[in-house]
Amino acid sequence: MNNERLKSVTLGLVILVGISGAALLARWTDTLRPPVDPNLIDESLYLNDKTARRMSLGFNGLAADWYWMRSLQYVGKKFLQFEGNISLDELGAMNMKLLAPLLETATTLDPEFIEPYEYAAVILPGVDVQHAIRLTQKGIDANPNAWRLYHQLGYIYWRQGQYELASETYARGAQIPGAPVWMEAMRAKLLSDGGGRATAREIYTRMYEQAGEEQVREMARRHLMRLDSLDQRDSLRKLFAAYKARAGKCPDSWRELEPVFRALRIQVDQSGGPLDPSGAPYVLKPGACEVELDWQHTKVPLK
Amino acid sequence: MDEQLRTLDAAPAITHSRKSESVGYVSLWRISAIARNAFREAVRDRVLYNLVLFVLMLTAASIFIGELSGGQERKVIVDLGLSAMLLFGMFIAIFVGVGLVYKEIERRTIYAVFSKPVGRGEFLIGKYLGLCFTLLVNVVVMGLGVSLALMYVSRGWDPLIPTIWPAVLLIYMQLMLLTAVALLFSSFSSPALSALLTFLVFVIGHFSADLKVLAASLGSTSARWVFTGLYYLLPNLANYSFITPAAHGRTPPAGFVFATAAYGLVYITVILAAATLIFSRRNFK
Repeated sequence: MNNERLKSVTLGLVILVGISGAALLARWTDTLRPPVDPNLIDESLYLNDKTARRMSLGFNGLAADWYWMRSLQYVGKKFLQFEGNISLDELGAMNMKLLAPLLETATTLDPEFIEPYEYAAVILPGVDVQHAIRLTQKGIDANPNAWRLYHQLGYIYWRQGQYELASETYARGAQIPGAPVWMEAMRAKLLSDGGGRATAREIYTRMYEQAGEEQVREMARRHLMRLDSLDQRDSLRKLFAAYKARAGKCPDSWRELEPVFRALRIQVDQSGGPLDPSGAPYVLKPGACEVELDWQHTKVPLK
Repeated sequence: MDEQLRTLDAAPAITHSRKSESVGYVSLWRISAIARNAFREAVRDRVLYNLVLFVLMLTAASIFIGELSGGQERKVIVDLGLSAMLLFGMFIAIFVGVGLVYKEIERRTIYAVFSKPVGRGEFLIGKYLGLCFTLLVNVVVMGLGVSLALMYVSRGWDPLIPTIWPAVLLIYMQLMLLTAVALLFSSFSSPALSALLTFLVFVIGHFSADLKVLAASLGSTSARWVFTGLYYLLPNLANYSFITPAAHGRTPPAGFVFATAAYGLVYITVILAAATLIFSRRNFK
């Protein structure tokens, strides 16, 4: 091996060993770094939305995408940090101070970007409902023909129990050319049965169908699962009442109702217990004619 | 450069006494010879290597962005692709543009060029067109890259593909304008200062609408005149930013594209005229 070749091989080895050594040192440093209080690291954004818009030059669309992805990752990270089962629309306990400014900045940078408004309408009410309304209204002002945003604003009002306002919002959205017929139907339904289960089912079904963001679809799916479970539990209570009328007592185990379940083609597990929409068996309260979810195994949300 | 001189030697002979000072009329042949060589030089300087980086970036984005963007990968690809096109193009326009004249002076090849029947204006316009052609190749290849990335994420034809091309055209016009500005500064200043000044023009060009608002809000008449003057003096580059609407599937109206093209053409003509005026006063004897 001549000198030149030896030099090249040595330098190549130095590079390889050096990179591996740097990677190992980085890992070691990570283990030594003191843990950071998650409440301290996300206090505020460096730039407010208007400054970010001015500084973006011709790259405002890309900057909006970056803020949008940061919002998604911010929520995702909070979910990972949170110990416990929580729904996407009940995030008040998670200290999401940055979510509103992130979504605000994304929509100021690109006012036609519909997804951040929709995401804000679903998630922000759990953190700051007035900000959620303001942001969705901002989306409507910037995109007056986006009927989906009226649907989202109506949803926020509906969640707040403001059925008349929700109905008015759906009515305004229904007048937009291209808006689906169900927007008009929602208007009437909210007025007649604002807090009812049928209205909730209609809203979440439409949300599931229209949502572009997977987390929002998942949230709507879980709510639909909860509504199905409520209906199922009502049906089971009717069965208990019929059983009690016939046997003179409430059932002590699911086995006593097995013939009925078989006749009604209700899916059961090995113990004979009927399954909830997430596939976990319901729990029977012996002798009480009452049924509840198996909180340890079910994926049906509490509320 | 030798190639450039050989091409110029082959140009139709011109009979006049002071060949290097003034050539009497503008020759498209000589301009195209200089432009071709400027393009070849850019290719030899590996300017188009940025396309490799662009393709790698876009490929990575197409594969991974779906996970991160919450189903908005098509919008992100258009934003990312067109923004990268503008950014890379801006760097080429600035850093190659400011060196177009300076390198010739530093290598002293400019003396050989001007010993031929080549006018100062022809030299500048030729250099300018050469870099514009380099940028054209760049944006067309990048535009095709964005279209392919969209086809990849949509698993076939994507309705956003035809809407990005008007935005690509506007980006190209913006880069042509910026190249002219870089050439103007490089005709009398050092490369570092020229690059800085051109970058500042790019930044201020995107703020020019604010200059107008500022002028309207000022109480002092003289200050209002100054800012209004600046608004009309500096290029309004915000007119050429159509990336975000393109990502939403919107195309600029034909009248708007025509007006911005006309504005750009007039502006480039003015800048190149000013650059020629300054450059022809420089002494290369």
